[in-house]
Amino acid sequence: MTRALGWLTVLGLVAGLAAGFGYAPREAVQGNVQRIMYLHVPAVLTAYLAFGLVLLGSIGYLASRRAGWDRLAGAAGEIGVLFTGLTIVSGSIWGKPTWGTWWTWDARLTSTAVLFLVYVGYLLLRSLIEEPDARARYAAVVGILGAVNIPIVHFSVKWWRALHQPSTILGPERSPIDPAIGLALFVNWVAFTLLFAYFLSRRMEIARLEEQT
Amino acid sequence: MPANWGYVLAAYGIAAVALLAYWRHLARRTRALAARRPAKPRAA
Repeated sequence: MTRALGWLTVLGLVAGLAAGFGYAPREAVQGNVQRIMYLHVPAVLTAYLAFGLVLLGSIGYLASRRAGWDRLAGAAGEIGVLFTGLTIVSGSIWGKPTWGTWWTWDARLTSTAVLFLVYVGYLLLRSLIEEPDARARYAAVVGILGAVNIPIVHFSVKWWRALHQPSTILGPERSPIDPAIGLALFVNWVAFTLLFAYFLSRRMEIARLEEQT
Repeated sequence: MPANWGYVLAAYGIAAVALLAYWRHLARRTRALAARRPAKPRAA
């Protein structure tokens, strides 16, 4: 099952690259550097999904005390940190030619950096506590509190004046994106979601093996 | 607007390296844990 998901992911990523570099047109204002969007936006949406699952797993664990929920939360947290890191790095590289700077303490960038650090702290906490029940309990509390940051990151561009552009696909208004660019973005989002599902499946298997040994 | 392909390649290159490194880390960890598991007793 995991193997099939892995091959499906490879197929999705190849389709994503073909859509982003072959099918999607060169953006009129930014030029080719806009193609970083096909990496940057799916990465942050995957991070949101991952941290949403940390929240779900944390609530599930506190409600049922079943180890499976904790495995889900821990695995999703680790992968979420990876994708948030990719979001920050790709955004910084995109920012240099478009904004003229690698980094600025803008509301979206700062809140994303805080989100990253909160979940790095979550992983550190998990690695510091040996006793499985205590680890799962404390991590669940941090996993629930940490999720408060997700809407802050997403709505930061609405709530505060920011250099970062407002939401174009998860915003309240109809997206102004060109259909070809929108399709390329969609294909890459599906590919990243498949990649996340594949990593999650493998990471949860590792957590299960760790409990057995 | 200049082509800026260097920035595009840098972003995708870093992402590819990070994702491949994580995938390899998962594969190595799975192999190490599977090797450490006690073998199942054989049926007579």
